[in-house]
Amino acid sequence: MAEQPPESARTLIEVVPALGEVAPLRPGDPVRVVIRFPLGHYRVPLYLRGKTGTVERLVTPAIDNEEEGFGRNAGDRRYYYRIVFPMTEIWTDYAGPPHDNLRIEVFETWLESARHA
Amino acid sequence: MHEHGPGESRPHDEITETGPPDYFDVLETALEELLTERNLIRPGEVRHQIDVLDSRTPALGAKVIARAWVDAEFRARLLADGRGTCEELGITFYDDTGLIVLENTATVHNLVVCTLCSCYPRPVLGLPPDWYKQKPYRARAVVEPRALLAEFGTIIPDEVEIRVTDSTSALRFLVLPRRPEGTDDFTEEQLAALVTRDAMIGVVPVTAGKDGSGA
Amino acid sequence: MTSIEDFMRRLPNDVGGQPSPAFQRVDHELKPWEKRCHALADVLDFHKIISTEEKRRGVEALGTEMIGRLGYYERWLTAFAVILFQKGLLTPTQLAERMAVVESRFRADPAPDPAAA
Repeated sequence: MAEQPPESARTLIEVVPALGEVAPLRPGDPVRVVIRFPLGHYRVPLYLRGKTGTVERLVTPAIDNEEEGFGRNAGDRRYYYRIVFPMTEIWTDYAGPPHDNLRIEVFETWLESARHA
Repeated sequence: MHEHGPGESRPHDEITETGPPDYFDVLETALEELLTERNLIRPGEVRHQIDVLDSRTPALGAKVIARAWVDAEFRARLLADGRGTCEELGITFYDDTGLIVLENTATVHNLVVCTLCSCYPRPVLGLPPDWYKQKPYRARAVVEPRALLAEFGTIIPDEVEIRVTDSTSALRFLVLPRRPEGTDDFTEEQLAALVTRDAMIGVVPVTAGKDGSGA
Repeated sequence: MTSIEDFMRRLPNDVGGQPSPAFQRVDHELKPWEKRCHALADVLDFHKIISTEEKRRGVEALGTEMIGRLGYYERWLTAFAVILFQKGLLTPTQLAERMAVVESRFRADPAPDPAAA
């Protein structure tokens, strides 16, 4: 039988988190920006589609801004992640040293794990 | 200074003798009047927000930077929680934006851009300059930051890592520049006087005046 | 990929990495109506009548030609009008009629004495 964790570390088992409330990604995780092309509104620049980077940090959960752009202002939230991409990953002909990089907040629905790439 | 609102007269210096009314001056005035009459916005609300905007200038950001240079604990808090630590100095955030402060070091240089629109840390820097909002800066900062910085006169050695931040969500970014050499005996106020808007965007370094006065 | 696909996939404001005119370090002092427009945008966002994200989406929806020809705050005001129509908060006729009234007022009294207001 499993040992009970200390009181302070226990969570209330009857509480069900909202959709997206638990972040599936952690700092250091390798991720890829999915390739898709929404009509009308998006906040992931085209230059990042299909590019692989690393999670730098989690940003406060927020409403999907593609929906917010059309008037939704409440309801379930997901995380933004600040992602680091080497410049040489984004631009194959980048004119600078390989340690130069770009950092950007990307909404969770745009990211897939690249761990087993 | 208060700008005129709906139903108020326009000041003398706003228009020329000959030209017709500016189409967008008319459009803005009509929208503001209709929204106010329908109780969607309150009378005086736009005027008050103009006062808020006018109170935000790069001098606020400069005070934050100077404090971070002289107070290591403040600096640590600022890097951990940009918005909360600016609020310690009485700088309120009138919108829902967060703030991340990016520290320049001997080995890292940060540059901030918004390729999709014109996100900018307005609560601490005021409104952005036109070049920040226009296509050339936004298009080039993410693909050739070193060439673009060189056009500002900023040459970054290859040993230094460039970090370009493309601002796209509710987070805003303020660059904490390096404290210039030869400023050990400067007061906090003298240091703040050295810090420019462009240094806090990351396109130029902070430099001390040649005579050491910070001019 | 065909050019019509490229055209559909890239929003007019998604300019990262795109060819651009030469960089010039330009700035200007905002005109009074531009300052009022910025403040109005903030107030509309505070009330969630038009959120910042809806404003961005509304500007993109103006299309490439209008975005190219209009100035920064000119785009905002045009987008505000269209979004307010879409939300049923104003009608095109109401705005047109009010603009005619405002314009004739400005023409009749182009430089009134502020003290008389």
